This record gives sequence, structure tokens and C-alpha cells, in this order.
Amino acid sequence: MSLSTILRNVCCKITMQPQIIIRPKCRMFQGFQAPISSSLKFHHRHESSNSFEASSSEGGNSETSQKPVMTSRTLHFPVKHTYPRLAWLESMDSLEGKKLGMLDLHPDVFAVYPRIDVLHQNIHWQKMYRHIDYNFEKSRAELRGGGRKPWPQKGLGKARHGSIRSPLWIRGAKAHGPRGPKSYFHMLPRSVRGLGLRTALSCKYAQNDLVVVDSFDIPSADPEFLAEMADVRFWGYSVLFVDDTDVMPDNIAVSVHGNEGFSLMPSYGLNVYSMLKHETLVLTVAALEKIERKLLEEMHSTEKEQKFVNTLRPEDFHTRPKKDERMYRKWSQPLYF
Amino acid sequence: MLNGDGNMSSKVTERALNLIKSMPRVALNNIKPLPHTAFKKKTDRRGDRKKKGRGDKGQGARGTWDPLGYEGRQNPLIDTSPRERYYAQYAVRRQYPPVSLLDLQRLIDLNRVNTSRPVDITSICNTGLFKFDISKNHFGVNLTDEGCDQFAAKINAEVQWTSELVIAAIEKNGGTITTRYYDPQSLAALYDPLAFFKKGHPIPKCKLPPQDALLYYSDPNNRGYLADPEKVLEAREKLAQKYGYKLPDLEGDPFKEMLLMRKDPLQIFFGLEPGWIVNLRDKSVLKPKDDDYLRYYHSAQ
Repeated sequence: MSLSTILRNVCCKITMQPQIIIRPKCRMFQGFQAPISSSLKFHHRHESSNSFEASSSEGGNSETSQKPVMTSRTLHFPVKHTYPRLAWLESMDSLEGKKLGMLDLHPDVFAVYPRIDVLHQNIHWQKMYRHIDYNFEKSRAELRGGGRKPWPQKGLGKARHGSIRSPLWIRGAKAHGPRGPKSYFHMLPRSVRGLGLRTALSCKYAQNDLVVVDSFDIPSADPEFLAEMADVRFWGYSVLFVDDTDVMPDNIAVSVHGNEGFSLMPSYGLNVYSMLKHETLVLTVAALEKIERKLLEEMHSTEKEQKFVNTLRPEDFHTRPKKDERMYRKWSQPLYF
Repeated sequence: MLNGDGNMSSKVTERALNLIKSMPRVALNNIKPLPHTAFKKKTDRRGDRKKKGRGDKGQGARGTWDPLGYEGRQNPLIDTSPRERYYAQYAVRRQYPPVSLLDLQRLIDLNRVNTSRPVDITSICNTGLFKFDISKNHFGVNLTDEGCDQFAAKINAEVQWTSELVIAAIEKNGGTITTRYYDPQSLAALYDPLAFFKKGHPIPKCKLPPQDALLYYSDPNNRGYLADPEKVLEAREKLAQKYGYKLPDLEGDPFKEMLLMRKDPLQIFFGLEPGWIVNLRDKSVLKPKDDDYLRYYHSAQ
């Protein structure tokens, strides 16, 4: 089956189902979710378009009507000792896109000190909390045999031994061998997780790898189009798209699926590993608003961090899971609904 | 201003963010933890050994003597007292063995140094009283100020290191002084010219001073050989005013020509150019004619 046929199939199937639901994969944000308020200020050139959402939902089909220019944004927590950072608001309705306005970014989220060690802590945690070490060695009691004294204690001129499974013996047991499965689950403190996200966002912003767009409405579902857009805009080989919901527009979902290295993610799935893995981070304004709000709330909250209760018991991971080939096939083939 | 929790932007933060702008992208391949924070894996899983590193039996194992310098849990003196590292990097530092003004005056009085010629490292070494060894990182003479009140000779001195007082003492008598850098190869040739000429090697061109010495040798206050000559004249006047002596007039001096003799920055012997070979047996000088040689010996690179 050629690639184009697969794509056509995918497109047909997706058009029958209007929305693709992306399941959450990360537990980073499950603790705190706050409702988003529309705190954006827009200066309208046309009286007809009254809100940002209305004009952005038109997408690229009305090229003649000009979009409202966004000139400022209310920052929810006061900015002390520094100044808000600025970012362009771009559109994705064409290859080059248009600059729709300027956004204020809160410096406590997008201009914190680049603590590389905190990034490392977060990534180490993300790698380790799901890691289970299945290595196992039998002890001298569990090995077969070895109950009998191989030779008498005295009288033979040989060294004294009590078991052929002693660690000194070839084919004996290993002393202090691995006794898996062992879980490496632990939680980083919430503040460190929050600081990690803020640091990663700051690094992205400082290194010019952060892009803010009004929405993910792209005119074509062709993966080539998105790839070309990334090429024209110098986004690099890997791009992470983050929206505020897990219900994404069709075109972007299909395009991202067709491009290796591109990922689509809801804001509650945002994590340090993915941000550092991808070269460019593309946020929608709504996602930006939500992420910034939550990180600032976390930073200023006074409530005590609750201990995370790990419900995973040793019996849950007692046997090594078999390779689910169907699962791997699922990732390497187009989605069917 | 750094806020209490250290997360707010400060000057430090601004600088750090500016720094990473021009650095490679912060990614999975180039992050690392702070040094010394990694958990050190316990190698001896049997726990404490029976003898605890104190050997077998006897006073060492049973006695209560502490290790040398141990002061009962408080930081020992050897850790708390600051170190003054006079000899830090001794092996790589440039050494300038001292020759005092008193020594020089004595040499002049005993007629072991000819003051009608410029006094450089060769004339000092020809007395046989001073020795320079490039294997000990010697880079020439440090003319020190001992005996500066007794110094009364009018000389044209070329030394490698000196102080302001020495410069004043020499210039007060109507003399001149230059500080001049020689690389080790040139210094070896200057230390014993006869041995050098016997080898039959071409005279080397002198290298420029290393980067940390460049400032010293281009400073008119040190009378550096790379300094602007007009600024050196200015500095002479200033120094005379500072120490309160009248600067003798160089213009009307009968030894003016000798006092203003200077070597080219690439030249190490008066009257001989780099690249020439002195033939002692035939008493002749061989000069290169090839363009490539000439270009090499007359360029600073």
C-alpha cells in the first residue's frame, strides 16, 4: 500500500469522525487544574469581529478580513524587579504566516535563571519513576542442590566447604546479587517540578525556540505542508505543538501524525523531557495562558504539598511484561477508527 | 536585585539568559547535574569491615591514637589556615634573576662593564659573575633598586624587568633604560655569543612577548621596547617631576648617539640582523639573499 493511499484512507476516516481525542500520558499536571479565564485584550480593527475566538475560528478561509491585532495581555501576578518579555503572535494559516501582534510573557515563567541542574533532575526523574529493574539472581538457598557437605571437614588436606552453591564455587550463587523486580518510583518535590517547567520554557524563549500561534488551524491536512512550514520558518527537525485542550483540529492531527519528529500535546501533558527533546516549542495562545497561569499559581501557592501515594504494589510488576507487538504495530501504522 | 526565592529575574539572570542565547540549544544531550551531587555508590556492600582499616592487633588496632594533625573533630590548623602560594606554578612562571644597581655600579667601578657601549645582558654576563639558564625558565635580568642612592653612572641599559625607582635612578644621571623581552632561544645566544656563533646557526629573530607580558613591554612607564617613543619621552618628564630631579638634556649630550641606540624588536645583537651567520674562522658574515628567507626574518610572525 503506497503512502498516498494510506493517507487518503486516514483522511476519509478522520473526516467521518470530526475530532481526534489524544489521551493524556503524563501525570505532571494532574494535581492542579484551574479554569482558564479570557484575559486577553484585543484592539479590533473591524467592529464585526468582537472576540479573538470568533476571528480565529474563521481560520484561513477569509484572507481578505484582517485579524485583530493583539497588543497587550493581562499578567495575573505582579511583575517585580524586572519587565515582561515579548513574543510575536503568529498565525499558521499560510506557509510564512502573519504576525498578528505582540504578547507579554510573564518573566517568572519565561525568564527565570537557566538552572541546568534542575532540568537534569526533572529528566532523571521522568526517566526513573517508571523504571523497573527486572534483574534477578537466585540465592544459594534457591539454587538446586548444595544441601550436602561436599567432603568431610578434616582429614583430606583440602579446604573446608559446606555447600557446592557457596559464592566461592564455580556454578555457585552470587553473593548480594540483584533481587528484582525493583521499582525506582519516587516523586520530585512539586516546587522542583514547577521550576523545571519554568526553566525549560525560559531556555526555549531565550534561545528563540518558542513560537506562539493563535490556533492550530492549518489549511491543509497534507503532512508535506506542515513539514514545509517548519522548514520555511526554521523550526528545525522536531517540533512540539501544545494546545490547551486534548481535542485538536483535524488537519494538524493528521499532519503531525504524518511527520516523524513532530508531536502534538495538550497543555496538561507538557513536560521537561518533551520540551528538551524537540527543537522548537509551538504554543497556542490559550495553551500559553493556561500554562503560565498554572505555573504562577503553583509558585505562589501556600498550601502544603501532599504526599503522593504510590498505588503500584510489587505484585503489579512481578512479571516482566511481554512485548506487545500489537501495540508497536499500532504506533507504526495509521490510526483506524 | 535578587529576590528571596532566587527565581525572579535579576542582573545575574539576565546575564545567564543572554549567555545561553549564543550557546548550543539546551537539549537532552547537553544537560548535567551540579558537580559532586551524584550519589556515591557504596562499593563495599558487606558494610563495615571488622578491622576498620586499622590493621591487625597491637597498639594500632586497640589504641586510641588519632591520625596526625587530627584535632578532635574540629577543623585542623592545616585546613583552616590560609595558604600563601608564593611558589604556585613555579615551574612555568618566567624567572628574572635579580641584579641590583649596587652590583652594576660595582662592575662599572671595577671596569668590568664598558659604559661607552649600551649595557645589555651580554655585557653583564661577560663579567662571568652572572649566569642565566633557559632550562630554569630564566628570561633575563631584573634590575633591582638596591643601591639606587649610590648609583652614579650614565649608561644606556637594556634589561628585562625593572621598577620605577631604578628607572628614576638611571635617568637622573642622564642615562636611558629600556625593558626588552627575549625569548629563550635568543637569550641563550645573548648569554654566550661566542658559543652561539661557533654552532654556525643563523642568528634567530626575536619573538614577540607572550600575551601576559605584552602589556608590560608596551607600557611607556616601564620604558617598554614596544612603547611609543614619544610617550616614553613624556613618561621621562613625568617621572622626573614625581621624584623631583631635573632631567639632564639629551640633545646637548656628547654621548647622545650611544644613549639612544636601540635594537629592532626582531634584532638581538647590535649591528647584526636576524638570519645572518657569523663565520668566526674566516671572520666574515654570511647574509641570506633568498626572498623567502628575507621575508621570514623580517616579519614578526
